[in-house]
Amino acid sequence: MVSRWMYISLVILYGFLLGPFVIIFMASFGANATMAFPPQGFTLDWFARVFETSQFVDSFWISLQLALLSTIVSLVMGMPVAYALVRFQFAASGLVETVFSAPILVPGLVIGFAMLNFFVLLGKMPVMTGLFIGHTAILFPYSVRVISASLRNLDPYVEDAAVSLGANRLRGFLLVVLPNMQAGIAAAFVLGFITSFNNVPVSLFLSGPGVTTLPVSMLSYMEYYFDPTIAALSTLLVAFTVVLVQTAERVLGLSQFV
Amino acid sequence: MIRRPNQTRTIILLVAPAFVVVLVFFVLPLIFLLSQSVTPKEGGYTLTGYVDFFQSPVSRIVYLRTLKLGLIVTGICVLMSYPAAFVLARMPARRRTFLMSLVILPLMTNAVARTFAWLIILGRRGMVNQTLLSLEVVEEPVRFIFTETAIVLGLTQLFLPLMVLPLVSAMENIPDDVLEAARSLGANRLTTFLRIVVPMSSDGLVLGATLVFTGSVTAFVTPAILGGARLLLMSTLLRQEAVIVFDQHAAAVVAVVMILTTLAVNLLLRLLRVRQV
Repeated sequence: MVSRWMYISLVILYGFLLGPFVIIFMASFGANATMAFPPQGFTLDWFARVFETSQFVDSFWISLQLALLSTIVSLVMGMPVAYALVRFQFAASGLVETVFSAPILVPGLVIGFAMLNFFVLLGKMPVMTGLFIGHTAILFPYSVRVISASLRNLDPYVEDAAVSLGANRLRGFLLVVLPNMQAGIAAAFVLGFITSFNNVPVSLFLSGPGVTTLPVSMLSYMEYYFDPTIAALSTLLVAFTVVLVQTAERVLGLSQFV
Repeated sequence: MIRRPNQTRTIILLVAPAFVVVLVFFVLPLIFLLSQSVTPKEGGYTLTGYVDFFQSPVSRIVYLRTLKLGLIVTGICVLMSYPAAFVLARMPARRRTFLMSLVILPLMTNAVARTFAWLIILGRRGMVNQTLLSLEVVEEPVRFIFTETAIVLGLTQLFLPLMVLPLVSAMENIPDDVLEAARSLGANRLTTFLRIVVPMSSDGLVLGATLVFTGSVTAFVTPAILGGARLLLMSTLLRQEAVIVFDQHAAAVVAVVMILTTLAVNLLLRLLRVRQV
């Protein structure tokens, strides 16, 4: 059934998906600042430049803190919701599901804009708080969905057994359910972290003077400079992602949750 | 499942904290946005913002261009993904796992990095121009950046995985026997593909198309880098109204039109999916 031209289409697909990464990789080692292609010479200067540019270093730390904090908060708050949706049947479950998937349906740029107007301009909220709220809100759908999926794979009778043997519901959850969901929680964590760390649309409007996330500062750098520094930084980020995603895929089977 | 009398209380305790957070920090700003879009600077409530949006040639062109490019990108993604997804779905599990992780990889890398590659490919001294010049097809570098082609290429590369993933998972569920039956009954490969594989994977197709289309019409990074102020899409128009023109009322109208468009597409395609089942 699988014919030769189907294999060709596979090659085209992967060429198109991964080709740009090869080009970024090559460009980040090229000695020529004008980015003419193919790159001439070989240098590691652009990588050094990434670490010398305070704009990138500062925004990296902000992105890292933001991603960790908003992922953890969305997981801790989303887990009880997922538990309620999977373990109980109730009239409002449809409404709850809709509300928690809404942040995916609304365009990120619109979320960022609405939050800027409401919290920062109207409510005089600090920039970092606004970013934190925005990122947590967009992560809810991921954490609720991934945790729900992993809860559904867990036999409810295991938990019921713990309860009938004398554990209360909370102990049953903490001692029996939680350890069995490690993979799901880890997958939700990786997915949430990456989503927040890479986000541009929500962060764009919510970034303020001195408080910018890494992707947004890359974007604003590109408005003024066109040199291989961005390529070098991208290569570093891709390498970081490859390690993270390959590990997660091997250990947890990330693709079934995406 | 253990049923207990105070179940309602438990559910409320579980759901309420996060629910309140989403209501206050997500729904409320959107309601405020909606109210901004119907209250112009002069005061009062009016829908003139929306009338102006669709009457002004500039914003109408931007809106139609956004929809057009979204459709083109979705179409290209379908064509590129369908046969490839079929190959992936028929592969031995081990090889498929590896290849699928390569499909996910771009999805996990930030859009700025991925779009930057297109500047190197399509720039004045980029790969395509150098090739064309050395082959003497053109005498002067061709301008590719700030064209619709550049935006379409960038968006396609960005959203292809969102079409491949649902297609592969839909096709995995097609049993080998069905395909063999069709073949043994005399259908050739193309007929089998068009009349068995495509209908049986239509769920994945609809889901993928929804994700790619809504992603394309709301993406910001790609049109900002590859289209700029010269070739505005809805997202870059919103940014311009809000930050450069500083007309929050007009920006709110653009934002609400964006929400309504994505909601309409989601609803429409969901109806389509229900009907097929």
